Amino acid sequence: MTDPRVARLGELVVNYSLGLRPGKVLRIDAPPVAEPLAVEIYRAALAAGAHPYVDFQLERLPELLLAEASEEQLDFVSPIAKAELELVDAIVTIWSETNTRALTHADPERHQRLLASTQELAKRRWQRMSSGELGWLGVLFPTEAHAQDAQMSLPEYERFVFRACHVEEPGDAVEHWQQVREDLGARAEGLAAARELHIVGPGTDLKLGVEGRRWQAADGRYNMPDGEVYTSPLETVTEGEISFAFPALFHGREVADIRLRFEGGAVVGAEASRGREYLDALLAMDDGARRLGEVAFGLNYEIERFTQNTLFDEKIGGTMHVALGSAFQDLGGLNESGLHWDLVCDLREDGEVYVDGELVWRAGRFLEAVASAGV
Amino acid sequence: MSDRLRRFADVLVGYSGGVQPGDLTVVQGTVNVEPLLNELVAAVLRAGGQPSVRCEPELDGLLLGEGSDEQIEWLTPGELQDIEQADVWIVVEAPTNTKALTSVDPEREARVQRARQRIRERYLERALAGELRWVLTGYPTNGAAQDAEMSLAEYENFLYDAALLDDGDPVERWGRFAGELQRVVELLATKEELRFVAEGTDLTIAVGGDRRWVGADGHENFPDGEVFTAPLDDSAEGEISFTFPAVFSGRQVDDVRLRFREGEVVEATASRGEQFLQEMLGLDDGARRVGELAFGLNDAVRVFTRNILFDEKIGGTMHLALGSAYPECGGVNRSALHWDMICDLRSSSEVYADGELVYRNGRFLSL
Repeated sequence: MTDPRVARLGELVVNYSLGLRPGKVLRIDAPPVAEPLAVEIYRAALAAGAHPYVDFQLERLPELLLAEASEEQLDFVSPIAKAELELVDAIVTIWSETNTRALTHADPERHQRLLASTQELAKRRWQRMSSGELGWLGVLFPTEAHAQDAQMSLPEYERFVFRACHVEEPGDAVEHWQQVREDLGARAEGLAAARELHIVGPGTDLKLGVEGRRWQAADGRYNMPDGEVYTSPLETVTEGEISFAFPALFHGREVADIRLRFEGGAVVGAEASRGREYLDALLAMDDGARRLGEVAFGLNYEIERFTQNTLFDEKIGGTMHVALGSAFQDLGGLNESGLHWDLVCDLREDGEVYVDGELVWRAGRFLEAVASAGV
Repeated sequence: MSDRLRRFADVLVGYSGGVQPGDLTVVQGTVNVEPLLNELVAAVLRAGGQPSVRCEPELDGLLLGEGSDEQIEWLTPGELQDIEQADVWIVVEAPTNTKALTSVDPEREARVQRARQRIRERYLERALAGELRWVLTGYPTNGAAQDAEMSLAEYENFLYDAALLDDGDPVERWGRFAGELQRVVELLATKEELRFVAEGTDLTIAVGGDRRWVGADGHENFPDGEVFTAPLDDSAEGEISFTFPAVFSGRQVDDVRLRFREGEVVEATASRGEQFLQEMLGLDDGARRVGELAFGLNDAVRVFTRNILFDEKIGGTMHLALGSAYPECGGVNRSALHWDMICDLRSSSEVYADGELVYRNGRFLSL
């Protein structure tokens, strides 16, 4: 009955991403539609000697709150949820929806209020995570709704997701991801000395400064799937043009064929074939929204297709992405903004990247393999 | 269907749980009852309460099958917080497969029960202090329907009828029903001794002294409808034949006949499952005595469905439980057993109170 791929993903999450130890308390946060994966993670955690429990969130809860709750009820933060957060050692969040657009017509003001009420818990969670007390992983369980967004059948989409996580075929997925960790770590190290990135491709000729910034490998410990190396570029250096072939989504709204022109680190020209007004509104959100908070190489070559989901799109092997808005402080980034919008640039056909004037990447691949090879 | 489900949720929240503005209300159930959980959340919000959902997969089989002793005894931070912080706790119990745990080692099951004692005791403490109101209810599933030998649609009708949902404003209807139960309590409160007479049954049992009758009117169980007491421990004399199968922990025993002397079972027979019956009677000293005596009074529950939540409330039946007694009735019998066995009194039966005929063929004569 159990899909062996789901069982392998459960084991990967528990044994690689979380590295769960005996006696540790794991909470599995998921909507009911993700039950198969929730159960397999639970099973793997039992086998690891941990204490797992599943906390299903009703998918209709936000809708019910928005429809029925008073402002006081919307603002309420449960003391049960607060106390529980202090008592768990790790949390897995399974993203999975039966309808990704169910809240499209929700009253924006009430929705904002509901989201604001979750901030206190989210903040506390980040605190416990960054102090190392709490482990966390986000993973997606495929549904018809996500398949629909990706314009695939569910079986196709399942293959897409499980391949991206390297659990589609039998074999040791943990070993694969350990190799990825090594490779991406080496790649990040190799980029540490870089001062300038020069990205050249169709409609793209962009220079960014990265001197003194730290590069980080995203290797499956916080997201599954994963596979990128990223940093926060210098805030006032970016010059030139960049075009994004993939439509960009933000909170479910699409902007297509975006072209941005930068001077002195800030966007000075922005075009789009669709959603131009929304693009302008996002750029005007605050001072930081016009500057880059992230630049990254997508290095998961088991993701080949754009699916309108950042979790996958930003990791497509052979792409680069930049994010407008907030930067990563722990990597040396300074830009602050309410926005963090990842825009993916396809460099697989004829893109080139130069580091300090030297060609290092062509047509979606680094020219020089890292010592351990693979990516 | 969805309208009935909404009314069901409104009664559970407004009447059973008595949710007041600001009450932190835990709504708990396995994932197969998600539609009712959604309705309960909406009903709690309408009542001004703060809903807190506790929903999980049906994991007992997996946990008992693959968990270590330490893992199966572990209580989650979630349930430990719920029991401490909830003002109202509504639990929906409705397994997809009522027999899924049949092959579980009883010793491991007992280990889980002992670990969970901590939650039960804390519940009793907080309930007694007036800090927590707790409600247990059901939900129509194919598993429950199969046990009841009904289709799912038939079982839905059965459940919502039992919940008195189709009769005007259900909250008002339950208020009236509570009044009817109270009149039975008042009648029985004046009696010292009851004698049950039916085919294969002639049992005398004392209910006076320091014992109290209590009306179960939909606040801890829903649906509901019985009055119960804890009879005097040394008083049961004679014999009783239970017309419905006696079900305990998923095991069924048919045609149970018990003979009592000075309050204790001295002879027990069954046409099927007699060995299990004997094992249970031998569990401890209290298991051979009557801990509870009750009249089922919900006339909307007419058929046996192998779910004690409903069966013991069938209008026109009586039940007694071997084993532990309820302190709220003044009962003192202690046992690990509390096994309700039901006797149909709807035909050829009489009940005498202090020598006077008070009940015939399933009805109290004066009410």
